[in-house]
Amino acid sequence: MTAIHLQGLTKRFGPFTALQPMDLEIRDGEFLALLGPSGCGKSTTMNMIAGMEKPTGGRILFGDRDMGAVPMARRGVGFVFQNYAIFTHMTVRQNLDYGLRMAGVDPGPRTAAMAELLGLTDLLDRPSQGLSVNILQRLAIGRSAIMEPAIFLLDEPLSNVDAAFRAVMRTELKSLQRQFRQTMVYVTHDQLEAMTMADRIAVMDHGVLQQVGTPLQVYNRPANTFVARFLGAPGMNLLPGHAVQSGSAVQVDLGPIGLTPPLPGPASGPVTYGFRPEEVTLDPASPLKLPVTHVERIGARCIVHLGPVKAVFPAGTEIPSGVVGFTPGKPCLFDAKGGRI
Amino acid sequence: MKLGLRLTLPAQVLVLFISVFPLLMQLYISLTDWSPLSGAPWPRAWEFWNSFANYTDIPGDRRLWAALGRTLLVMVICVPVEFLLGLGLGLLFVEDFPGKKLAYSILIMPMMVVPAVAGYMFFMLFQSGGPVNDLLSVFGPVTIAWLSDPWLALVAVMVADIWQWTPLMFLILLAGLVGVPQDQLRAATLLGASPWQRFRTITLPRMKVIITIALAIRAIEAFKIFDTLYIMTGGGPGVATETISVYFYKITTNDLIWGYVAALALFILVSLSIAAQFAMKRMAR
Repeated sequence: MTAIHLQGLTKRFGPFTALQPMDLEIRDGEFLALLGPSGCGKSTTMNMIAGMEKPTGGRILFGDRDMGAVPMARRGVGFVFQNYAIFTHMTVRQNLDYGLRMAGVDPGPRTAAMAELLGLTDLLDRPSQGLSVNILQRLAIGRSAIMEPAIFLLDEPLSNVDAAFRAVMRTELKSLQRQFRQTMVYVTHDQLEAMTMADRIAVMDHGVLQQVGTPLQVYNRPANTFVARFLGAPGMNLLPGHAVQSGSAVQVDLGPIGLTPPLPGPASGPVTYGFRPEEVTLDPASPLKLPVTHVERIGARCIVHLGPVKAVFPAGTEIPSGVVGFTPGKPCLFDAKGGRI
Repeated sequence: MKLGLRLTLPAQVLVLFISVFPLLMQLYISLTDWSPLSGAPWPRAWEFWNSFANYTDIPGDRRLWAALGRTLLVMVICVPVEFLLGLGLGLLFVEDFPGKKLAYSILIMPMMVVPAVAGYMFFMLFQSGGPVNDLLSVFGPVTIAWLSDPWLALVAVMVADIWQWTPLMFLILLAGLVGVPQDQLRAATLLGASPWQRFRTITLPRMKVIITIALAIRAIEAFKIFDTLYIMTGGGPGVATETISVYFYKITTNDLIWGYVAALALFILVSLSIAAQFAMKRMAR
């Protein structure tokens, strides 16, 4: 088990900066999800941890060991590729004990034990070509896990898997991690995977680390408008407005929508007023009013569009038509630059 | 007539004329003593009928067997050398290095040189007072008569073949090397495999098919070696560099024994087909 320290880690490809200087501590035995849209620099970060790419600047430490000069074959990192990179010209067994064979270790009982753990025992002597994605995935994890790496890196391992199996794998991966007790870094663009599995989430965008925190911290107290919008389905409602001081509290003038209830804290000038769609309640007496423009009924929930605002209610909720009053719960305020106030 | 047959009929007739007709013609002539100087056009070759005499002459033709042996020698030396050089260069060129594009262009140039020109080039290079000897003179005065010594002439011919055809091997193998999935190589590296282990366990098994194809193409071509060699040595000195193709050419143009040539060519074709079948089956395993 090893903690990972990223200190001022930077990556540039020619004139393009893939990763702005980034500091991040990944604790020993922690499951950290690197979450962000494609091109945000999360895979680049992970490739640098694995040693597949050289950083342009900054340092990577495993525990107190600087990995700068350590080649990827010596880093002792388990890596599960997005396409699994299974050696398709070998059998399941040859894939599973590849690392041990290359190290000149007798695989014997360890292969059997790993196969048992992952439910691959019956498939050991099958060629790995043509196995289902679900099995390939377990094989990819087993092939790395058998080396007992202190650090395990997973690059969007569930993105090729069908939705039903994804739910199963989420649980399975989490329990595997509890068993192995390794430090795991998990790259994903799927917030559901990050929210359900990770101990902490690092949200990234455009090569900049936006926020690090537990899933609930990131969800409830987003550091900026990007995180607020990216997490949640649908994401947080963000309305531009003007802060008006009223005593020690602040009200936001949302223009034609109305004047919000008072919030704590000083603020002034242009601000963004944010609230989660789940926290909206319909209230005819509310000063905030918008017309119902569209209702999406999706099984257990229904999403109501009130102009620019989205609200989520339980399935059977009676939705009035025309202009309705609504009250946002647990609002957040962001300044003109998008940072949280 | 079926529509399919009707539609392909012109093509079928063409194929018949291109491949089946000459083959039958060859078979016919091989059973006679006919030659262009015998005073009758080829359809009347039956006037010179000698049944299987041409075929029974084959086992006793010492010059043929020597030429065949020489051809096989060129093949088993040139093809492996070209393969190893091509593979080495391929492994070098999958990685990036400064000046790669220029080096690449220079490397594949020999392949584009017309074989006859390459023949003259090496003819000049291997003269007694030529550049090869000049170069070797660095180690002391040498005047090696490359092209008039029986064994050295064969060496010179093989050097020319390797020079001209290593680029093709290199190109084919490079295509194969580029096709080896990067992720698998990376995965193997992360699992602790050394470069040699990666080559042995990932690269080589993945290249099996392309290596088979490259070796097959070059083996077939090396068996037919003719143009460069003929210009360099004309098969000489004596018959020291006479390969199958050169021998055929000589007995066709000088000796004009066409009936015998036809029989020989058929014999070689059939033996080669059997050998190729055998080799393919072995390689497939």
